[in-house]
Amino acid sequence: MAQQQKVYTDPVNNLTLWLEDITNKVLTSKYNPFYYHGALPQFFLWVLFLSGLLLFAYYVPTIDSAYSVQHVINAFTSVDYITNTIPFGNVVRGIHRYAGDAMVLTILLHAIRVWFTDRYRQYRWVQWVTGVGCLLFVLVIGQTGYYLVWDERSLVLTRMTVTAFEALPVIGPACKSLFLNGSAITNLTLSNFLFIHVGLSFFLLFGLWLHYVRMARPVMTPPPVINYALMAIVLAFVFAIPIYMGQPAVLTSQPSAFDIDWFFLFPYYMLTTMSPGVFWVVAIGVLALFTCMPLPFINNMASGQIEPFAAAEVVNDKCTGCSFCDKDCPYEAIEMVPAPAGSRFKLRAVVLSYRCSGCGLCVGACAFDAIDLPEQPDAQVTNKIKSLLSQS
Amino acid sequence: MPKIMTLICERSCDLKSITEDDSQFKGMPDCYFVKFPCSGMIQPLMIEAALKNGADGVVVTGCQIGDCYFREGNKMIRERLLGERTPGLKKAVDRRRVIGLWLSRMQPQRLLSEIKDFSAEVSKLPAEVKPEAKPAAAKPVAPKPVVEAPSVVVAPAVEAKAEEKPEPKLEVKPESTPEAKPESTPDAKSE
Repeated sequence: MAQQQKVYTDPVNNLTLWLEDITNKVLTSKYNPFYYHGALPQFFLWVLFLSGLLLFAYYVPTIDSAYSVQHVINAFTSVDYITNTIPFGNVVRGIHRYAGDAMVLTILLHAIRVWFTDRYRQYRWVQWVTGVGCLLFVLVIGQTGYYLVWDERSLVLTRMTVTAFEALPVIGPACKSLFLNGSAITNLTLSNFLFIHVGLSFFLLFGLWLHYVRMARPVMTPPPVINYALMAIVLAFVFAIPIYMGQPAVLTSQPSAFDIDWFFLFPYYMLTTMSPGVFWVVAIGVLALFTCMPLPFINNMASGQIEPFAAAEVVNDKCTGCSFCDKDCPYEAIEMVPAPAGSRFKLRAVVLSYRCSGCGLCVGACAFDAIDLPEQPDAQVTNKIKSLLSQS
Repeated sequence: MPKIMTLICERSCDLKSITEDDSQFKGMPDCYFVKFPCSGMIQPLMIEAALKNGADGVVVTGCQIGDCYFREGNKMIRERLLGERTPGLKKAVDRRRVIGLWLSRMQPQRLLSEIKDFSAEVSKLPAEVKPEAKPAAAKPVAPKPVVEAPSVVVAPAVEAKAEEKPEPKLEVKPESTPEAKPESTPDAKSE
């Protein structure tokens, strides 16, 4: 118990509480975006799916004669057509770009909040690990989005990626040919980029399913007011800083400089400052470190403590199989199984201790005192209430 | 002075600065508290037990709605108090004697001032409406099972149905704006 106190006075946790207190004073807790931090990227995901669908309708994934004439239909000219000819095409493109940036930003906010408030480990390790995976997916999807425009920046990024893959031992050549869909940049390369961009986006939904799988009733939708506000912010950026296209990519040229989008393209900045081999070591190392954060020994190094907790226990004699605890458990840690023969009831609750957080919500849900936290049985609580009240 | 029992989530208000031992607040002789790992663990039965055993009022305190360290605990107990989720409080419980407060760790002083206000309200209430005055034998009792006797013999279906009805009179203070004082009339409803 004394160890637990240390967690509560964590300075970074106090920082988040202080921030949320201010936000609560302005917006009230019902509309506090910090309380929907997980739902914000989810909202941007739907925005990206919708705006991406509109772009997909006009996009042509080829590099045919990208360097010869304007009137040839290829990736660059189709994006140019979307941007400059279709009504509001540049707005849709802008929404797609800035909603992507906003999604990375809100994912980072989400990750930092669960990290600072100590809500990422123990019974939540599945959410953390799949969350790191989903963030990696989002970054890769965003980067392939930059290849699709097929301006000079796309060409530089493609070449830098190929160089990076070539530095990988053993799997390097395979990665390169999978990435380029062949041994050199061809029409097939662009259709492969489109497949990675769109296909991985749908695979991201599978990642999110894993992210939500142990959470009963995940908060996936912020209140509409927050959605409108987020959309207004994105639109403000769309009109304030309109997106542009560079020069068309010319395979024979060697463009070197490009504008960087810090949300998605920071790995390419790293590639310009270090050799590809070092880049892979750093990237994989950082990713592994973040993935392993919920491991107990890393936590001990960080905060110098573990606080073990005991899972809830069902009192088999008392359980009536009403399944209130099963319905209310926020971690889906309770299962209703058929009661043994001779019981008066049909079902009996069983706690899956590897999912249990020890929060005691099932105790509050039970009208029959049939489930207990071993460290604080409800009979003991009731007795304490009685003895305190009979003192004077 | 009326006796006030506070059932509090240990991740809610920071109690260190305002308590003298693990059951009483500083300078408030008739106010007691019991800590829970999460306000979601608080059973309506415990609130009833407190009222039955001499408490004049019960304060249920959890974190700000939307910010449960675990998940949903404060929402669940709030819905139970409002009668929107089973199990809820029994009909016989005087709703004016139960109050819900949703405070973050940085608001211990607010907790104290709310308890003082609540204590003043409760002291104005007539004493005879306490649930202990009610006869307790009204529950249907299931026939003794032949094979193995579980220690609880309350028929679950009947019990649950009786508690499902919404209880409109319960007073739950708005959890949203921490500095705004909610009205303190006993039967004011914020929902």
